[in-house]
Amino acid sequence: MRVGLFVTCLVDLMRPRIGFAALKLLETAGCEVIVPETQTCCGQPAWNSGDAPGAVALAKKTIAEFEGFDYVVAPSGSCGDHIRTEYPTLLGEEPEWRDRATALASRTYELTDFLVNVLKVDSVPGDADGLIQGSVTYHDSCTGLRSMGIKEQPRALLAKLRGIQLKEMDGCEECCGFGGTFSVKFGEVSAAIAERKCNNVLASGARAVVGGDLGCLLNIEGKLRRMGNETTQVLHVAEVLAGRV
Amino acid sequence: MNSREEILGRVRAGLQRNATNAAAGREVMAAALSANSEGPKPVFDTAPQALLERFRVKSELQSSTVDIVAADADVPAAVARYLAEMKLPKAAVVQPALAALDWAAAGLAVEARGARDADLVGITGCFCAVAETGTLMMCSSPDTPAAVSLLPETHVAVVQASRIVAYMEDAWNLARKELGTLPRAVNFISGPSRTGDIEQTIVLGAHGPYRVHLVIVEG
Amino acid sequence: MEIKSMQFKARAAGSLANVALQGNLKNAKGKFVTKRAEAIRDLDDFEGTRDAAAAIRNKVIDNLDLWLERFEQKARDTGATVLWAKDGAEVCRLVIDIAKKHGVKKVTKSKSMLSEEAGLNHALEAAGIQPVETDLGEYILQVDNNEPPSHIIAPAVHKSLDDVADLFHKVHGTPRKTDIPALTREAREVLRGHFLSAEMGLSGGNFLVAETGSVALVTNEGNGRMVTTLPKVHVVITGIEKVIPTLEDLSTLMRLLPRSATGQSISNYFSILTGVKKPEEHDGPEHLYFVLVDSGRADVVGGDFHAMLRCIRCGACMNHCPVYQTIGGHAYGWVYPGPMGSVLTPLYAGIENSIDLPHAATLCNQCGIVCPVKIPLPDLLRKLREKQTERGLRPLTERIGLRMWAWVAQQPKLYALGASFGARYLKWLAGGADRIRVLPTAPEWTLGRDFPAPQGKTFRELYAARRKSAAT
Ligand code: SF4
Repeated sequence: MRVGLFVTCLVDLMRPRIGFAALKLLETAGCEVIVPETQTCCGQPAWNSGDAPGAVALAKKTIAEFEGFDYVVAPSGSCGDHIRTEYPTLLGEEPEWRDRATALASRTYELTDFLVNVLKVDSVPGDADGLIQGSVTYHDSCTGLRSMGIKEQPRALLAKLRGIQLKEMDGCEECCGFGGTFSVKFGEVSAAIAERKCNNVLASGARAVVGGDLGCLLNIEGKLRRMGNETTQVLHVAEVLAGRV
Repeated sequence: MNSREEILGRVRAGLQRNATNAAAGREVMAAALSANSEGPKPVFDTAPQALLERFRVKSELQSSTVDIVAADADVPAAVARYLAEMKLPKAAVVQPALAALDWAAAGLAVEARGARDADLVGITGCFCAVAETGTLMMCSSPDTPAAVSLLPETHVAVVQASRIVAYMEDAWNLARKELGTLPRAVNFISGPSRTGDIEQTIVLGAHGPYRVHLVIVEG
Repeated sequence: MEIKSMQFKARAAGSLANVALQGNLKNAKGKFVTKRAEAIRDLDDFEGTRDAAAAIRNKVIDNLDLWLERFEQKARDTGATVLWAKDGAEVCRLVIDIAKKHGVKKVTKSKSMLSEEAGLNHALEAAGIQPVETDLGEYILQVDNNEPPSHIIAPAVHKSLDDVADLFHKVHGTPRKTDIPALTREAREVLRGHFLSAEMGLSGGNFLVAETGSVALVTNEGNGRMVTTLPKVHVVITGIEKVIPTLEDLSTLMRLLPRSATGQSISNYFSILTGVKKPEEHDGPEHLYFVLVDSGRADVVGGDFHAMLRCIRCGACMNHCPVYQTIGGHAYGWVYPGPMGSVLTPLYAGIENSIDLPHAATLCNQCGIVCPVKIPLPDLLRKLREKQTERGLRPLTERIGLRMWAWVAQQPKLYALGASFGARYLKWLAGGADRIRVLPTAPEWTLGRDFPAPQGKTFRELYAARRKSAAT
């Protein structure tokens, strides 16, 4: 099975180790993973900012790069959903491209969803490493949760790690306030929303907060640190599941 | 061009109205108006006894109090008992539709008429009652003025058990069958008036009654 | 109502700095969200009911002209007068004309957002007619110097018990009370006199029923019943989109509206009013007028924002919106706040008068999930952003920045170069720490939080290096 890994622009720039963790998880599960060198961004920021032509151009580019694989997997519900749900919409007026988008969409997955529902993995490599121990709480990122149905998948995978206990926080499904460009256009409002999320993280008493989208995680980590919290770890679910990379 | 024509003109432009789609639209409209199709409804036991029980439970959840009596003749005494318990005056305005009951025998001074501001207790019947939500359906008429259930601080409603229907949809069908057209006012009442406008804290007795007492006649 | 939506950012900052408001918002949020969640549980087929509700609303707005004509005909048959208003000014003119015709000195009002849109109270006062708001929340605002509402269902949600206690003490000249039932009774007693003496009652309309020519009103306090039962004239002001086909449809929508709005299975009072009082009846108005209002709605029909006309004004989208929960309704600067307001304000009050609103959302889609008529609010907000860009309404730097970024992202080599430069620059900014305290390229981010430092090299660099070493 040939899987194209869509790294996402944020992971590329900020946290390459998440990309390597995704790679390890997929390879350990038996996939042949290809990382197209020319990939950049799925175009979601353009689409959400009202730049339809830019979004269309990047969608076409991404489709051309990834349509040759059996599956496309992204360590992000947000980017994964952009390919899966929005591409067919935003290319709706170009029938040929729309059909290619639809074909790709049906083979595009968020990482934990792919591991659970397509690969049906029994174990995850992080279990043997035991790198992360103790209690974690899970933040459900909005698009993954509400558009892709990512809810049980990461929890099922975390449950395969012996040293880890899941402690749910209040409002785990509430938005953290990131919202892409929202976070830099309305910084104070965005940070105030993040504060509510962080208070819930802290109240859960978990040692780490885990999530599936780096944007949210940067937001939560940035707010926790500004609030003076130095101890709560902020981790991508792929890092936790993959162990040492 | 008057405003009506201008507004409708713009709506038509938005819909790219032409003879063909107008005919299709009229068909959709006629179909909707004749089918009276119902949406999904919550499922519950609709046997008469179960309806009565559900109506009672739901009414109490709406902060109404409920008494059940055997026959119409028992109503005045039941109302008198309630008013005494609540230390409320034994005088009331009653909808003309209920004037025939022997209120005096129960020691109540009732006047059959429309309601006035000074009335402290209002006694009404109801057109029917809806078990789904614990709701009274009141239809206005000369015999059943609407304000009797509104102006007084206490509203006592007499409900015939045989008139408890399952859903609001059933109530509409009953109205179509028995009244033909809708009366001026249909008021669905579910418990005492209330407000949550100060700090989302529910307070009973906003502008209408502080308390609603239901006397169900099993018949 | 005056449009202050251009000041969104400053108003939002004001809300954030207002400690009392923050407390009130937090209190309200919990109640609205929990109550709704509990209330929808007893609908066995909640999703099916939402689908049915959306279909009912679509059925009408997809053929709105026909349904309006049908409603108008039916309403006339019942003895009502149907009038049409293009805009707020015409609403005011029509209502004042009706009032003058019937010698009206005082109007009691049940909550009507359209009357806020039109600035009707102001116009009535100017014409020498006294408007009295009778919904407790609206009354509180009216006696507080005509403060605008901050929520469509709970207009005074931004006020605390203490605020109301101070206010009533001041305007009623009564001893200060801090007991909510006592304050409510005080308002009741003041307003009862108005109910009895007003010659005209004015209400909005939750729905207009085409089958019967009726208006349906949803209230809890009983004020809606008072203003439509006691005065001799009743005027209904509604948007043209409020028509629904049948009484059955009304029942379906009623399963959703109170649950979504206040978490009730049904509102206390649900009144379906048809025609006027008959001579032998004891109560009810002798004259019934419908004012069907456009104010921007007709232009929405059939366009990109058509779905917005399904809205039944339940307020669930704002109750569940992380942004609304954080800044409250006044920040939005017009009648409608929250996600629905961020769509409606640009449509009705001008896209150029509300540049920030479509962007003031995280697109988390919690609103779309709770909306009882399934309006895809985030999609509509996104579409508005697109319209702004098309019309050149966004700041030039932003437009150029976006275009450049999208262009670079189409040039993989250039992009890779830019990304590795960016990663190193950010790493350098952090200066060995794991965070950046001030981000010069995006200063808004670091106003209220840090920006975590990057690893320093991009994934693509590290991946290429790894492949190289594996190959040797
Ligand atoms: S958009 Fe939907 S959720 Fe918001 S007020 Fe309208 S109907 Fe309610």
